[in-house]
Amino acid sequence: MKHGWVLISCRHAHELLSARMDQPLGTGDRLRLWLHLRICAMCARIERQMDFIRSAVQRLGR
Amino acid sequence: MDADALHRSLEGLRPTLLRIARLQLRNDAWAEDTVSETLLAALEGAAGFAGQAQVKTWVVGILKHKIIDQFRRGAREVSVEAQMEAAGVESLDELYQPGGHRVSPPLDWGNPEESLSRTQFFEVLQACVEHLPAAMGRAFLMREWLELDTAQICKELGITSTNCFVLLHRARLRLRECLEMNWFATEQRA
Repeated sequence: MKHGWVLISCRHAHELLSARMDQPLGTGDRLRLWLHLRICAMCARIERQMDFIRSAVQRLGR
Repeated sequence: MDADALHRSLEGLRPTLLRIARLQLRNDAWAEDTVSETLLAALEGAAGFAGQAQVKTWVVGILKHKIIDQFRRGAREVSVEAQMEAAGVESLDELYQPGGHRVSPPLDWGNPEESLSRTQFFEVLQACVEHLPAAMGRAFLMREWLELDTAQICKELGITSTNCFVLLHRARLRLRECLEMNWFATEQRA
């Protein structure tokens, strides 16, 4: 759910976190996500966890 | 390495290769075929292969190519499944409150990199990937393990890019939940 042009919900932030792993975000989304991660420690935590999951999956079969 | 030694070392890799091929292909017969083709190709290519240390890396590289070939051969079946799953109305509503906050905050995973040296962690990770619905699991591993880009994944799975992003996003959130519940929130990693 979007809250507005600048502030976004955690749910939307998670969508952007995931989308960013697949393709570069547009300027607006990049800014909104950056701002959200600065003020939301829980989403910053999820950001690190998603990065970790990526690096773990790359190691499968090694 | 002599031919016998290489042969033994390749056969020793079979269970690992089979497990990961099953995880990625979600079809036991395809996985068996793909691993056999991989080992055969490795034997045929052995003359050009020198160092023992990287046998596994080299063979896993061959396996990845064979898996992509197999997806192309089974394209129709793979695509039907992906379309059905992507069309499914499974939502993420159980994770979020109406305002878009999570129902329960994510746990602190501490220093998760420490888990990368634990065999049990990878057991849990593989089990979590196995629990994803077939097309979601395929799409996720195509992206994160085969390291294809989303345009290629949409093409191989025969789905729209929107559906592709939705599958990947759901897969990541589900895996996060699964790892948290079955690893980071438990005593197993201690």
